[in-house]
Amino acid sequence: MSEVTTNDPILRVEHLCMYFGRGEFVKKAVDDVSFDIQKGEVFGLVGESGCGKTTTGRTIIRLYDATSGNVYFKGKRIVAGTYAYKQEIKELKAKIAGKAKDGAALENKLSEKEIEEANKRIAELREMISSAKKDHKDARKHGDVTQIQMIYQDPVASLDPRMTVKEIIAEGLRIKGVKDNDYIDKKVVEMLETVGLVEEHATRYPHEFSGGQRQRIGIARSIIMDPEVIIADEPISALDVSIRAQVINLLNDLRASMGLTILFIAHDLSVVKYFSDRIGVMYYGNMVEMATSDELFAHPLHPYTRSLLSAIPLPDPESEKGRVRIRYNPLVDHEYSTETPEFREIVPGHFVRCTTKEFEKYQENYNK
Amino acid sequence: MAEKKLEVKDLKISFRTVNGKVQAVRNINFDLYKGETLAIVGESGSGKSVTSRAIMGILANNAIKDGGKILYDGKDLMKITEEEFQKVRGDKIAMIFQDPLSSLNPIMRVGQQLIEAMILKNKALRKESKDNMKRMFHALDTRMEEVGISDAQADLAKFKDFGLEHAKLETAYTEALDNANEALAVAQNAILRIDSKAFDAQLHTDITQFVHAANRSKDYFVVRDRAEELDAAVAEVKAAGTPKDEAGYAPVREALAKAIPVLEEAAGYDVPNTFTLGYYLKNVQNEIPKTSVAEMNALTHKETEEGFMNAFIAKAEKAVKYSSEETDKARREAIEIMQKNLAPLEKEEPVRAEVDAAVKEMKAAVAKCLDPLEVTKDSLTHTFDSSIDYAVDLYFGGFQRNEKEEKRFARMSAKHQRIIDRGKTPDWEVIPMNLVNLEAARVDMADTVKEQIAHFEDQLSANETADFSKRTLEIVDYLKEQTENSSYHLTNHVARERAIKLMEGVGIDNPRRRFRQYPFEFSGGMRQRIVIAIALTADPDILICDEPTTALDVTIQAQILELINNLKKQRNLSVIFITHDLGVVANMADRIAVMYAGQIVEYGTAHDVFYEPAHPYTWALLASVPDLDTKEKLESIPGTPPNMIYPPKGDAFADRNANALEIDFEMEPPMFQITDSHYAKTWLLDPRAPKIEMPKVILERLARIQERNEAKKAEMTKEEKTNE
Repeated sequence: MSEVTTNDPILRVEHLCMYFGRGEFVKKAVDDVSFDIQKGEVFGLVGESGCGKTTTGRTIIRLYDATSGNVYFKGKRIVAGTYAYKQEIKELKAKIAGKAKDGAALENKLSEKEIEEANKRIAELREMISSAKKDHKDARKHGDVTQIQMIYQDPVASLDPRMTVKEIIAEGLRIKGVKDNDYIDKKVVEMLETVGLVEEHATRYPHEFSGGQRQRIGIARSIIMDPEVIIADEPISALDVSIRAQVINLLNDLRASMGLTILFIAHDLSVVKYFSDRIGVMYYGNMVEMATSDELFAHPLHPYTRSLLSAIPLPDPESEKGRVRIRYNPLVDHEYSTETPEFREIVPGHFVRCTTKEFEKYQENYNK
Repeated sequence: MAEKKLEVKDLKISFRTVNGKVQAVRNINFDLYKGETLAIVGESGSGKSVTSRAIMGILANNAIKDGGKILYDGKDLMKITEEEFQKVRGDKIAMIFQDPLSSLNPIMRVGQQLIEAMILKNKALRKESKDNMKRMFHALDTRMEEVGISDAQADLAKFKDFGLEHAKLETAYTEALDNANEALAVAQNAILRIDSKAFDAQLHTDITQFVHAANRSKDYFVVRDRAEELDAAVAEVKAAGTPKDEAGYAPVREALAKAIPVLEEAAGYDVPNTFTLGYYLKNVQNEIPKTSVAEMNALTHKETEEGFMNAFIAKAEKAVKYSSEETDKARREAIEIMQKNLAPLEKEEPVRAEVDAAVKEMKAAVAKCLDPLEVTKDSLTHTFDSSIDYAVDLYFGGFQRNEKEEKRFARMSAKHQRIIDRGKTPDWEVIPMNLVNLEAARVDMADTVKEQIAHFEDQLSANETADFSKRTLEIVDYLKEQTENSSYHLTNHVARERAIKLMEGVGIDNPRRRFRQYPFEFSGGMRQRIVIAIALTADPDILICDEPTTALDVTIQAQILELINNLKKQRNLSVIFITHDLGVVANMADRIAVMYAGQIVEYGTAHDVFYEPAHPYTWALLASVPDLDTKEKLESIPGTPPNMIYPPKGDAFADRNANALEIDFEMEPPMFQITDSHYAKTWLLDPRAPKIEMPKVILERLARIQERNEAKKAEMTKEEKTNE
């Protein structure tokens, strides 16, 4: 999708894959996901639980080691998947040795020319792995990784019960190497005030706070590092409706005042629609549709997006009683046996994962 | 109006904590009708879960029931004993909890968890029915002898004898039928597998299962004379053993195909009347007549009627009439005694000794008023003892406790004052007094008795026009049911079949395989379905759903809501749906109660609450839900709910309400009635109040919704016209 972007995106995710398990039992949590996020933008990632949206967020900040694909932050590579390279080297080596995967000898051995090519490729791959390692090291050294912070879903489980609020918020600064206690105190109070808490709260423990206040502490912890990007992983799904509005308003204010870029992961579509500029819909590890939020709600094209939209409960009994939920069944809705679907642009800025046939159909439907 | 299933009246519940008494629920009232959904909406801490727990009788240990009533089936659930509650809880009123993972046992297969409930219920039912049967037979026997019927004993013995025979026949029949159904399903499944060349372990289990089930289904009324055919098919399947390839499976397939029509036919036969057949076998001829089931039913029915039933009913009716008259006599006496003894209870300052003496006499009189031949238990009379004891203890216990509490309060305040006098600020507050409302407790004592008197008077007037033959038939039916239940042994096998059917009913694919899995192998939505299925095993009247979808995501949430809605329609359940998300309830709820700080602040139909919300809190809740159409700043509710140790003086929501009136801080508003079905507790509805408009967000949204709905309607009428 790099071709659509005009200016440099602050975060670019390229063909990111994250597989869990090995061999036959591999689970493709994230499978070839690409997107860009511009500075100051809120990018919403939606999908049902287990579709890989949280894994995407975690892979971006390298809580997991990506299987393959790259993530660029301000033009610098911060995540580079090397597992796929390593696998390829292994296979090539086995081929050179004349053995199949299970150790049995191959029938037709490689010619010398082919062996030479394979060796060349191995050297190339090794080069790529070492460059990836260097990039990872650099990103850490120059403090790029601290520019991306995360807010977690569960405000209860994500705060250490044995640390005071001050310790929790200041932990990042201390790890970064700040030793000036006065500076830390000042900064913590400043952050507490930013998120709508008061100085007295600093000496208390997390259990003394309500759910909404705890989530505020989590937000304070992430913004103290002066981040450019925040990955908010379902920050409101564990909260009461009335508190949700408070937290969303807070994030919105922070976004305006600090110029934050937010990757907003959630399953509540009405909130995502309200909060995000662009939305990406994920289904079973794949990004199936991506568009600006108004566009997506006005013209949902992929059948999964349609089914998601049809499931949103509305505060209107009359229309709710007549609501028909669209069911999504990938086996019925798609014909993928002849052609693997690709991510295509239907109209500028609106992408759908589809085959050529579907692409034509969507375009036709769109123009109607 | 539909039948009232549950009535909650003036419910008050508080919790004892280290910091004082938390008033979680304060005077709430609502009714639940048959087949409707009542949604209770509110923030966490508003008391909605406490209310549902009180209905289930699973309040925490530190809960204090300050008063009020929860009436279900003539019983007050706040006062009945634990033994009685066990008959209601889970059986008549079932509950689905928020977190499906923590409400399932992780180390038990889900199927076993489903079966467990059924087997335990069956076991309890057997024991209970045995007791009931004994009691009823004994009562009937004594009453019959009292009217002067000499051969009562023999008749009853006969009844018992063929009643048990009937139960045996019935059990055998249902089990065979269930097995036939199972064999049929498995055979069809196995054929499918053979056709699709899936020769795996599942196929083997299917085939063994078929052999077992087919063998068990050979009942006289199920497979009948075609048992030989079925036997032959089973033998062929057995003979084939466990082949490995397609050719080996060919004979198995053939045999299964042969068995299917036999089993299909079995499911379609008439249902035999095992009750009359039991009589026939025991008293007329010891052999099943060789005719069609319909003819046999007619024959045995005639034999039973003429040979025994008509005479028996005539005799029983005499006894019933006599018994009813005797009880009426006792009731009249009891009313007199109660009225005579009411005085000490109604005194301005009751004396314990006087009250105790009066209560003792009343209890003895009321105990005599139980008709031994009653079929539906007169629960008010049954629980009179515990009700009156509870009321008396509350008053006199409260008297002493209040004294202690006042002393403690005085001591603590004095200490507090001393510290202040010394010029320091204490870091603790005086815990407020935890007092029993003595006035209410005193009135409650007399009211319990008055209620009982009114109840007896109702019964007396009802008995004047009673239809005794109908009552006798009820008793016969009751006896029939109890004998049946007392010997009905639900086997693991039958329970399994039922559980699988239930799993299918709640929308779990491939239930036969899923049955053997552990909870962790299910996704969140599927787990919630299992929990719902377990709740439904007992076939409850009322289903309480405590935030069943909060832990689930949008698509699954929509599925679960649809499922609950469908089940409600199919089984005519009454549902109490608790949630904090107003959006969720729009399609479920018939009526909505909005709770705040332990009180219902608005109560009305879904239409009322969504289109004409009246309370500022409802406005705030609606405004804080993000809208798909706008991007305006959300109106969050400032602050947090009040601390219920110190409930606010006026309107509980005043502190968080930007438009609060002065009176909101001074006086609690009463419940204003807006329309027949719509109530709200806010001063804004008072004629003297200034006009305050709903927030703009909601007004705009309502306008949009109206526009949209009208457009839709117009479209529909247009379509209709074109169709015409």
